[in-house]
Amino acid sequence: MTPAPSKMTRTSYAVILRFTGESAEAEEVVREAFLRAWRGIDRFERRSQFFTWLYRIGLNEAKRRAGRRPPAEPLSVEEGALEQTADFTHAPEPRAEQPDLREVLERAVRALPEGYRAPLILRDVEGLSTDHAAEIMGLKQAAFKSRLHRARLAVRDAVDAYLTGEDA
Amino acid sequence: MRRLRDMRPGFMLDHMFTRRHLAEYLDGELDARGRDRLRDHAHRCPSCHRLVATLVQMLDGLRGLGQAPPRTGSPISDSVIARLRDEPG
Repeated sequence: MTPAPSKMTRTSYAVILRFTGESAEAEEVVREAFLRAWRGIDRFERRSQFFTWLYRIGLNEAKRRAGRRPPAEPLSVEEGALEQTADFTHAPEPRAEQPDLREVLERAVRALPEGYRAPLILRDVEGLSTDHAAEIMGLKQAAFKSRLHRARLAVRDAVDAYLTGEDA
Repeated sequence: MRRLRDMRPGFMLDHMFTRRHLAEYLDGELDARGRDRLRDHAHRCPSCHRLVATLVQMLDGLRGLGQAPPRTGSPISDSVIARLRDEPG
């Protein structure tokens, strides 16, 4: 079943805002995505759900706009992180209070390279299934999972640095 | 810190298994035997324990972000409909 338009705009906005980090730009992207979808409705092939198609248009538009900005310093998602065996044995204990964890997460997600940010937002923030999120991204499951895991490890490093006070 | 020679046989194999199958574990795609092996290792390996614990904590935090979606100043759907009304044709 296709969600109502107001729910679709709210959900699309939430995803795009996490992607762009700018509320005004996110609103513009969502409007543009809906307009493009409307204009291109004849090209909608019904091989996927309308919402999936709309998400894809929105994310592509957000990426297009992000490509026009000078790149910020991204989090590293170096290949091989999965196999690293860093020694955390003597790392300091995590901080007891975590009032800013939400902000740390928001910042770390936005600092991910584009190709890694969207999988993490769709899967871990919005809670979409791996199938659905991979379809939106136009990726095969294995490629999607690989990007998602590398994104998780990169954000996890930022969280770990925060918890141990190394980001101060 | 534990030295390699103090570790029980199979420790490094379990360590590599844990790193290799972490993604499946986090997504609930690891079978029961694999889950037990990974948890058992993480219980004994401080490095993996910390890695798994912070990943689980991070995933909880990310899910929390999604449960409190950002709100727009004005309903976007209204402005989308208004723009569509202005579309020619």
